[in-house]
Amino acid sequence: MATKAARIGEEVWKSRVDKINAEVVTLTYGTIVAQLCRDLTVPNTINKTDYNAVNKELDRMGYNMGLRLIEDFLAKTGTGQCSNFRETAEMISKVGFKVFINITPNVSNWSKDSDSFHLVFEENPLADFVELPDDGRAQDELWYSNILCGVIRGAMEMVQMQIEARFVSDVLRGDDTTEMRVTLIRIIEDEMPPDDE
Amino acid sequence: MAGASVYSFYIFDRHTECIYTKRWTGPQSIPQKSTATNALSNGAVPVSVKRAMKAEDDAKLIFGTIFSLRRMARQLGGKDDQFLSYRTGEYKLHYFETPTELKLVMLTDTRVGNMRTVLYQIWATLYVEYVVKSPLAPTEHPRGVGVANELFEGGLEKFIDSIFTPAQ
Repeated sequence: MATKAARIGEEVWKSRVDKINAEVVTLTYGTIVAQLCRDLTVPNTINKTDYNAVNKELDRMGYNMGLRLIEDFLAKTGTGQCSNFRETAEMISKVGFKVFINITPNVSNWSKDSDSFHLVFEENPLADFVELPDDGRAQDELWYSNILCGVIRGAMEMVQMQIEARFVSDVLRGDDTTEMRVTLIRIIEDEMPPDDE
Repeated sequence: MAGASVYSFYIFDRHTECIYTKRWTGPQSIPQKSTATNALSNGAVPVSVKRAMKAEDDAKLIFGTIFSLRRMARQLGGKDDQFLSYRTGEYKLHYFETPTELKLVMLTDTRVGNMRTVLYQIWATLYVEYVVKSPLAPTEHPRGVGVANELFEGGLEKFIDSIFTPAQ
């Protein structure tokens, strides 16, 4: 199962994806986060950034991207429905991340009932060249790559899985690893057509 | 598939709404038009309104049908089973559903073979490229907003023409 996902990811990445320079992505993303940090300030202050609001906004932007990205993902990879959440995790890591940003975060730390796992990012192209602002708060409050959580949440919602994704550690904050926790909340039921009176 | 013809094409989104409709009118629909115009002088509903109402009803009817058929297919054939098409004396309905619950439906005449790959192509190369990736289209399409753009419509017409080369 794991090797199949890796093979699909590798193949699609090689043959079916248009690529751009990684530094363009890194710098563009950095500019967006920096701009949000300037724009979203605590009420009644001029330059005290509200990092919670920045995290939320990044998540929201990612969510809207995820809702669309999933269609492109499915069309490019030709994959169907996963049979269980473990397979989903493999697909996210070895196909999703591989195809779109050419990394494969490790899946680990499964909960006992297989409904949540950690994605461990050994590399993170979004965070290259980054230093968090030295204001004594960013280190504790800002999740710099939070857009990724939103992307996963949006994409999963389109394939009938409501999940929660959040970072639990980040090397930018001085942690040893960059890890995201993904938890399955529920499977979304098919919507019924409205009743005709 | 020379000589075969396509009647109509629908897309339904995950909220069960019809977000795109296209009809191909054959030459046999012209005499019907004139009788409908006569009815207008008797104070009947204008033909354009009538046709719009009929199109909406058709879409609802089709959705109801595929919704039930899809459920039946899954109950009898396992949860990954999908129905591909059904045929009546007059037409054949082809069906394709993506993992995101986008449902593509095409009505053609009864001689047409399996259209699953065609519907897949419409989704993968036209819908995803021109609708999903269009920065001007909203992320979801309530009442079909953003689906029927020029690139998608043009691409669809060309693609269908290339498959159903006109009879003669």
